Amino acid sequence: MPTVILYDVSLSMCKPVLQSENGETFSKKNLALHGVNCLLDYFSVNSKLEFVSVIAFSSLYEIISPFTRDFESIKQKLQQLEEYDKTSIETALHGVNRLVLGEWGSATPCQVILVTDGHIDFGPLSLKESLSNVPHHDGNSQFPLPFLFPGKLSVICLATPQEPSLHQVLPLYRRLVEMAGANGGVFTPEGSLTLKSVQAMFQKMAETNFAPFVGTLKCGNLESRVVLSPAPQTYYKETDFEIVKRAMSSTIEVCGFMDVADVGSPMAISRHLVLPHTTTKVEGDSNSVKMEVDTEDESGLGEGNTASFCVLLHGALKVENMAGLCLLGENWFGVVYSWADGKKKSNLMLSVLEPGSNPVPWLGDLNNLGSTKSDTEPTPTFPVRPVEKRSYSQNCVVWIQQAGLQSDIQKILRHARKLPDKTQHFYKELNRVRRAAISIGFISLLEGLADIFERECTLLPGAAHPDCALQLTHAAGVLRKPYSRDINFSIAPLRTKFVSDDS
Amino acid sequence: MYPANHKTIFVLDHTPYFGISSEYLIEFDFTKSRGPGFIPLAPISKSLWTCSVEAAIEYCRVVWDLFPQGKLVRFIVSDLSARILNTWSPQQQNIQHIISSLASIGVPPRPQQEDFSVIHGLKAAAEAHCECTDIQHEKRTSLTENAIKVLNRCRVIVIMSARDDASMKSLEDIFQNILIQQNKIAASSDHLIAIHHCHLVIINIHPNTVVSQVSSHPVKEVSSILTSEVHSVKAGGELSGKLSNLIMSHYNLGSTTVTGIPMKEEQNASSSANYDVEIFHAAAAHTSILKGNAADSALIRTQRDGTDYETVTLKWCTPRGCSASEMQNCIAMHRITPADVNSRPSSCLINFLLSGRSVMLEMPRKAGGKMISHLLAAHGGEIFVHTLVTARSVLEDPPSISEGSGGRITDYRITDFGMMMKNNKLFPRKRKYEQTEEETLLNRSRAQLDRHTKFWPITISATFLFNLKNYVDPLPTLMLKEELTDEEVVECKQIIYSLIGQESKHEPLQTPSMGQRGKGPKREEQYRIMWTELEAFLRVHCRTDQHNRVLNCLLECRNKLDEDKPGAACKGEKGGKEGKVELDQAIRELDQLGKSGDTQPESGVRVSVIRATTDSPMSPPPVSMSAPSVVPRSLSRGSSGANSIYSRPQSLLDLWLSRTLAARETRPEFHGRLNSEVLPDGTLRTKLYPFIMDDQGPRKNVHAEGVLGYRSRGPGFDPAL
Repeated sequence: MPTVILYDVSLSMCKPVLQSENGETFSKKNLALHGVNCLLDYFSVNSKLEFVSVIAFSSLYEIISPFTRDFESIKQKLQQLEEYDKTSIETALHGVNRLVLGEWGSATPCQVILVTDGHIDFGPLSLKESLSNVPHHDGNSQFPLPFLFPGKLSVICLATPQEPSLHQVLPLYRRLVEMAGANGGVFTPEGSLTLKSVQAMFQKMAETNFAPFVGTLKCGNLESRVVLSPAPQTYYKETDFEIVKRAMSSTIEVCGFMDVADVGSPMAISRHLVLPHTTTKVEGDSNSVKMEVDTEDESGLGEGNTASFCVLLHGALKVENMAGLCLLGENWFGVVYSWADGKKKSNLMLSVLEPGSNPVPWLGDLNNLGSTKSDTEPTPTFPVRPVEKRSYSQNCVVWIQQAGLQSDIQKILRHARKLPDKTQHFYKELNRVRRAAISIGFISLLEGLADIFERECTLLPGAAHPDCALQLTHAAGVLRKPYSRDINFSIAPLRTKFVSDDS
Repeated sequence: MYPANHKTIFVLDHTPYFGISSEYLIEFDFTKSRGPGFIPLAPISKSLWTCSVEAAIEYCRVVWDLFPQGKLVRFIVSDLSARILNTWSPQQQNIQHIISSLASIGVPPRPQQEDFSVIHGLKAAAEAHCECTDIQHEKRTSLTENAIKVLNRCRVIVIMSARDDASMKSLEDIFQNILIQQNKIAASSDHLIAIHHCHLVIINIHPNTVVSQVSSHPVKEVSSILTSEVHSVKAGGELSGKLSNLIMSHYNLGSTTVTGIPMKEEQNASSSANYDVEIFHAAAAHTSILKGNAADSALIRTQRDGTDYETVTLKWCTPRGCSASEMQNCIAMHRITPADVNSRPSSCLINFLLSGRSVMLEMPRKAGGKMISHLLAAHGGEIFVHTLVTARSVLEDPPSISEGSGGRITDYRITDFGMMMKNNKLFPRKRKYEQTEEETLLNRSRAQLDRHTKFWPITISATFLFNLKNYVDPLPTLMLKEELTDEEVVECKQIIYSLIGQESKHEPLQTPSMGQRGKGPKREEQYRIMWTELEAFLRVHCRTDQHNRVLNCLLECRNKLDEDKPGAACKGEKGGKEGKVELDQAIRELDQLGKSGDTQPESGVRVSVIRATTDSPMSPPPVSMSAPSVVPRSLSRGSSGANSIYSRPQSLLDLWLSRTLAARETRPEFHGRLNSEVLPDGTLRTKLYPFIMDDQGPRKNVHAEGVLGYRSRGPGFDPAL
């Protein structure tokens, strides 16, 4: 999940802080730098695939580093930052929206970490002022929160309760976090402001927000410890009748397999790389009865050389072009499959489907999928068809546009000219149009049709089959009869002797 | 939450006035010019009734195509009284039902001196809205905390004709009173739900030649429970356009115009022209492209004449390289329906999709270039628009799976796992019996998967049994079955007998993957490993008496009595019993040795024995060493541990050799053995290549660690001898 670090470079960040332990003095900027470096170190250990960007802001903002996984380069760039004027958080948040939308679009969840000093500003650009204006922009709010993408805001405030401004500014920060939604938080150092307390604060924030997702990929008795990257987020959705809030289970259990072509391209609420867990800790022997394919790496020698079920599963899914249906929680499913990033590197991917047992209409209720074969009945196949056909696949009658009506009439006339060969078609179409007209009360059409049939008789060429005139006159006559206005009535072809004689 | 579009009621005016013509003339005589003097037939026109019915049905067509569930529409026809055409029941929520009900209603009656009014319909609509839909009932009666909080929001769309604004105003007031009255009734009832809010949409229609005295007004709040709006439109041509504009906001729909659809001309089949088709879908399908770059989204949004909504124009793109048959990165998926279902371009696109092909839609960018933003594809007769990710992916440049843990191993049993997957392929099934929560079909599949993986070594080098397909098939498949027939038991037994026969004939077991490192285990070792693994396999699959019969067959054949279950025998007992068993074995083998003396020179046997006992710890461990690691531990201890009789049979020759060897053992003990640590289970362990970590080359060494497994070697290797 991409992360934007909003880095305060206002003048107040220069404020010196005396370290009680050794009498040294650091500026808040030094402390912030130390904290951010710790955070980047945390990433390089726990989430190497994290994309991080840094925006420095004062009254203006500047993208110091675009999104990158090269954390060292960020560290270097941070070293070179200078101080500017005052703090305008609103401007900075606008910058975040622009940056994220441009890079990741509106669907990728991102985390925003605001690193600031808890200094309270005044005037038109100050946080207090911008927040007090929020209720005024109703509807089309100009305020950058909530973010234009699924975002989570964490505020890191380098101030201690001894600083009087903190009490004023904390409620404002909390308001920001609340507006951003998705339960972010405000972090302040515990105790005095030291390198240590700042580091601890960043560590706490990282553990809260960036804890890697370590789980178990299971398939019957085979299993493998895996890391999901990016870590799955809590699912939250308001539907018509309920609020769904779900957290994924740490056990991802493969329940069965399907062809990738049958799965189609269902909507995924998120996608995650399923990476075999590399750090091997030998856990208690409690589950030694199970087949622990991964425990051989107790040797700690060459992780690449320890057989992992994850790799086997990936290989087989890739070779067979199949996908595994996984259970991610109660009535919550996902699909694992082999995925290649355009290049040769292929990987095991988990697409998380919407919670519920019917997230993919053409797969039907997933709880009704079975692998057990029965010899008595033929094996049903995908896709599962809905009970009712959609309008576009059932030849429905829509005459709102005149062209629709015209083409239906022309179709009947085309058949009429080919009588008696098309007798069945002629009456089938005629009855279809007639029924539609009756049901919407379009009686003048029925009379019009009778007229047109009679006129058609007069225009028949001399060489026309005698049936033509007979059937058309018959149809026109019945159309005018009151009993033909019954929807359940069908006009039947006139029985003529010419058909059999002529053949 | 609780949107108004969950419940919509159309109230259709069926008073005699609606029988009059809309005065909107329709040419229906299109007979191509039949010479001079040809007089076309007089045009026909629809009645006000026909116009309102077809517009309302079109509205439903779109709703039910896009939302097969959860968006309900009811029809009430009002003349002398209210006539209700359908209920909230899902079975009655379809066009066919409405059409046939309408057919029985027929055209509006002739004018009479009676009380025809649309008020009857409004009253019935309020009553109908107080009835719970299935989901409302379920949520109201559910025992969760928000059970009481179900809000009953709804919408009434009235298609009628009023004299002037004043009568329209009084109609709104009447409806307000109806709602209040109805809510009182609902409040005193258990099964009715009060209306929390109703959105009244009045569409006043009039013949095209008449100027209406009724003026439109936008949404206004009549009271806290009622908002209303009035639209006054001509019946012919305007009404359905008005409704299709309204539906966009009622259901939050979006419109996409697929442009540049190549279509063969009817007349000229060799050339093709490009057409546009407009489709409707939930507006959310556009979120990702419209929220992004403002300049880009301005480029694709247009508003067509006669509509008050914007359509997004995306270009047809013949799929190249990417198709629906692979997993696209799809972040949203919505049903679509064509705006004009019967037009030729629409049906062309629809049929193309229904035939199983898919269409990519691309979006031009201001900065130049374009990108694929959507995928149109049909699944099971329904067409969906899939919103694809257009932005950068957070998953870019991932590490390959081969770089991670277990990635360098090349002998995974991929083909076998593929077979296992095929045997556990899921199919959509009909519910045959009333399923309980636990006993879903999927849970039964999970149980089957569990059974199929009970004994499943994941690498080729970790198993011997499964590399012997030509000897053991179809036994491994049969044993996985839930039930075994007598014939299948016999089949399995025969496989065991034939293996016994092979062994007694001293035929080596041939495996296709043998000799990865040039040397496989020797023949006797082979049989020992095979029997050990087979027993372990049979033991985990002992689910029925029939399965047990197969296991017993093996145990009997190998002189192993059933009471000698894993864990039952301990090391102490081993000596006596095994000694007896192996004496028999040894005598038998001696006999055979004599017989086969000419074909198999004694030196050959001898070499193999020496090798088996003097295997240096530095040499790659034989297959046997890795097998137990993937076998459930309890089993590996039980069957291949000290109490197993499948350890290599000990012959007199062995005894003699090991003794003489021990006597001749003058060389210093191996370094590894001297430095080994004793594990709790009695095996010795030492680290091989202790310096390999410093100098990690690409060497593929699966067994980086040597376990001097006395337990798996058998008595011949016992240091006591």
